[in-house]
Amino acid sequence: MKIKVTSIYVNDQKKALQFYTDVLGFVKKADFTQGPFRWLTVASPEEPDGTELQLALNDNPAARAYQHAMFEQGKPAAMFYVDDVQREYNRMKPLAAEFTMPPTKVTGSTIAMLNDTCGNLVQIITLDRWQS
Amino acid sequence: MSSREKYTPGAATGAEVRKAGDRWTLVLVRELRHPPAKVWQALTEPAQLREWAPFDADRNLDATGPVKLSTVGTPAPHVSETSVKRAEAPRLLEYSWGGNDIRWELEPLGNGTRLTLWHNIDRRYVSMGAAGWHICFDVLDRFLAGHPIGRIVAGDAMKVGWQRLNAEYAGQFGIDATTPVQQRDRRKSP
Repeated sequence: MKIKVTSIYVNDQKKALQFYTDVLGFVKKADFTQGPFRWLTVASPEEPDGTELQLALNDNPAARAYQHAMFEQGKPAAMFYVDDVQREYNRMKPLAAEFTMPPTKVTGSTIAMLNDTCGNLVQIITLDRWQS
Repeated sequence: MSSREKYTPGAATGAEVRKAGDRWTLVLVRELRHPPAKVWQALTEPAQLREWAPFDADRNLDATGPVKLSTVGTPAPHVSETSVKRAEAPRLLEYSWGGNDIRWELEPLGNGTRLTLWHNIDRRYVSMGAAGWHICFDVLDRFLAGHPIGRIVAGDAMKVGWQRLNAEYAGQFGIDATTPVQQRDRRKSP
């Protein structure tokens, strides 16, 4: 059993692709359509055959309510590991990324949070134990 | 081995893309050895659509008005509420699906039918759409001949040569068929 793909609900797949590639820096991996359905995934350029993130169109009212509540509570819908949160913050800031939390030292890690423009907050994190 | 397992699509043929600026229309022509009245039923009756089409319909498509179409073979059925715009049996059928227009024209051809499909699919997916419809038409042809093999869409189509057809149609249309995965693999190779 393997975790090969995980999903995040987005309210606009086109905007999502732009944010997850142009801002976060992932690369598009799969993009197929069948009528109104679009299977769209991205992967990390550092790990192209690693876990894919599906950008799933949120057309489910229950999921929309959940997504909205999590956003209002400031809870991230996904978490991505980076080598250096501050460096990523500096890189993304000029790309008009909207950070709701600047790089912040917390127990065991440094985190930052940003708006993915498609209904979610996403967190980037560097674990202390990862740093040399 | 069942006839479904033996099925392999032939070479890409019968498709063209009409380009009007950014709006592209995929036009597919298939000659069938069955009269328009019989083909019309296969295009409109929900039970017959289930034999070959990439979607299910909640009613007969032979009258204009609202209809729900559901995707088949996707992780969960994606139901879209749309409408039949024209239904002129047994020669013209038009509805939209996924924001794109689908128009079928049936012309008598001897004892059979020349079936033409216009689909203004997003240009990024035009060769994928041609490959998918090609397989659907093959399955339709067998169903009409009384030898149904069961519809082959989505993941099932991937297993029977959809990628090859996609590449062949892309070549005919003069576009790049490669998915991001293939582009990356190509960069990796020497």
